[in-house]
Amino acid sequence: MFKKTTLAASILMLSATTASADGPYKIGITQNNVGVDSYQTTYESAFEKAAEANDNVEVVILDAGGDVARQIGQVNNLIQQRVDAIIIWPTNGQAVIPALRQAHRAGIPVIVTNSKIAEAGMEFIAAFSGPDNVQQGVSSAEMMCDALGGEGQIVQVAGQPGYTTAMERSQGFEERLAEVCPGVELVETQPADWNREKAQRVMENFLTKYNDIDGVYAGDDNMGVGALNAAKGAERAEGIIFIGATNFAVGYEAIERGEYYGSIYQSPVDDAEAALQTALDILAGKEVPKMNFFETPKITAANIGEFEKPVF
Amino acid sequence: MATAEQGSNRVMFGRVSKSGLMSFLSAQGILIFFLLSMVVFSFFSEQFLSQSNVMTVVRQASIIGIIAVGVTVVIIGGNLDLSVGSMLSFATVLVVDLHDKVGPTTAIILMFALTLMVGAINGFLVGFMRLNSLIVTLAMLSAIQGGILIYSGGQNVDIANQDGTWFSVFGRGYVAGIAVPVVIFAVLAIIVQIVMSYTSYGRRIFAVGGNPVAAVYSGIRKNWCVFSTYLISAFCVACAALVLGSRVMGSQNNVGQGYELLVLAGIILGGTSLLGGAGSIWKTVIGVLILGFIQNGLLLMGYPYYTQWLVTWVIIILAVWLDLANKRKRLLTTHS
Repeated sequence: MFKKTTLAASILMLSATTASADGPYKIGITQNNVGVDSYQTTYESAFEKAAEANDNVEVVILDAGGDVARQIGQVNNLIQQRVDAIIIWPTNGQAVIPALRQAHRAGIPVIVTNSKIAEAGMEFIAAFSGPDNVQQGVSSAEMMCDALGGEGQIVQVAGQPGYTTAMERSQGFEERLAEVCPGVELVETQPADWNREKAQRVMENFLTKYNDIDGVYAGDDNMGVGALNAAKGAERAEGIIFIGATNFAVGYEAIERGEYYGSIYQSPVDDAEAALQTALDILAGKEVPKMNFFETPKITAANIGEFEKPVF
Repeated sequence: MATAEQGSNRVMFGRVSKSGLMSFLSAQGILIFFLLSMVVFSFFSEQFLSQSNVMTVVRQASIIGIIAVGVTVVIIGGNLDLSVGSMLSFATVLVVDLHDKVGPTTAIILMFALTLMVGAINGFLVGFMRLNSLIVTLAMLSAIQGGILIYSGGQNVDIANQDGTWFSVFGRGYVAGIAVPVVIFAVLAIIVQIVMSYTSYGRRIFAVGGNPVAAVYSGIRKNWCVFSTYLISAFCVACAALVLGSRVMGSQNNVGQGYELLVLAGIILGGTSLLGGAGSIWKTVIGVLILGFIQNGLLLMGYPYYTQWLVTWVIIILAVWLDLANKRKRLLTTHS
């Protein structure tokens, strides 16, 4: 957790510097759908904790429950409350843009967290803070190439169709794989909607269809472990390299057991702290780049000791 | 009306024997369609009819199938149960989460008890309060979803020691070379089919679903009958949760999302009428298997997952239309 400590330290430093400069900041956050998955749930509690640790911040925490209309209403409420900055985890990268434009017009800086919004909305936001999902796909492709020694036939179990994270990971993976590993062929991709049971079913069908599968790339570890379950059930797990993303506790354990080759370490705690930090930097008048990616390193058996087991 | 329709058949097909052929086709249409698609799929994929693929499909279909057995009883009794999908999520999260906390046996008992309780609430509201089953179970669907989120706080649940627990037998075990989920599906289907066809209880459910007023006048306690169908449905969901939880060795809040539609699709496809009072478990088993094979076939042919939804929709509409067309014809011929 090297990242976490540096971030916490910088938050502390910042609170020391800005406390004298300006009064406490009121920051409003509207999240996508807390409670629907472990990542978002952990994100919320990490955000709360980071805000509590900082005397210079007062937060209004809202949750859209996955509903775009509700999220737009929440943004409007935050504008009415005259908060100093709005952090939004968009429920839909397109539909929230008009609300963000209103905030922009009201002079309230908007920070988009975790999932990107459509290009058309970029002019209304101060910054984006989150994981670089294209880069994650790239990293996974490199791991796959290393693991297979540049030769083989693989399948992909992707996330929910139409979901930006899923598309970006697939895109990064496919493009990079073609570059670094022309000898590895991606024979088929099927979505499994971030659902482990569906991933298991998809993989069972892959195993029937292809007698020869050397590797599986899954859009997250939850699905990756589903695919691993299927291969174990068919007694074919031994010869297959499993690589995922968003390291889950089950994936972490599978890497420890040597059944799972690697994943991408993406901590919701880092995600939440980076979002708050970006907002504070902007309020402090610092020069902040438009796109802020927090680090999401590769994790394999070789370096697993450097990472804490994810809580989800 | 009747003569006019028969007349037009003669005009269209020339001879009466051909209209007999047509009625055979429309009566067995789904089965014929199924066989045809099996042939088509096997042209495109040599693995399609392989033993291992057939076993995989039947195993995958068994979770839907187990639930469909219960829901068929509810439908024969003249009601609907749309809450089974989120009930499945609830029961699976429960049994997986409790497994490590209180041990598998207690976890399974608690899961069955709580799932049956949810079924009892459905049954009470529909059977005794006489509320519309569509509304009651739809409301239950979202209520349970909320309940799961409160219970799990949104976290995924997992069984820590996956290889060291006998709980794995329900989803991953084999009995005499047959996967346990398939065995559970078959045993449930056979028992419920026997109960529905050969016991007075089964006949009462048919009577209540077919003509509730006549059923009441002939001394059947309709409220209790309806109530009991929801208990059967909940029991089947609990069995399915056992299989699902053990198969995945983990669960997430929305794992059963959309299952209610797949279950209904299987039932309708088999030919059980949504109007109640008719149908059989046997038909549901066929319907669920057809659905499973078509979805698997599309995947083997390389179509993305969501083409299945479109195709499923088309097949359901076809099935409902055939059902209706048959009924109309039967009505017309008995009147003439």
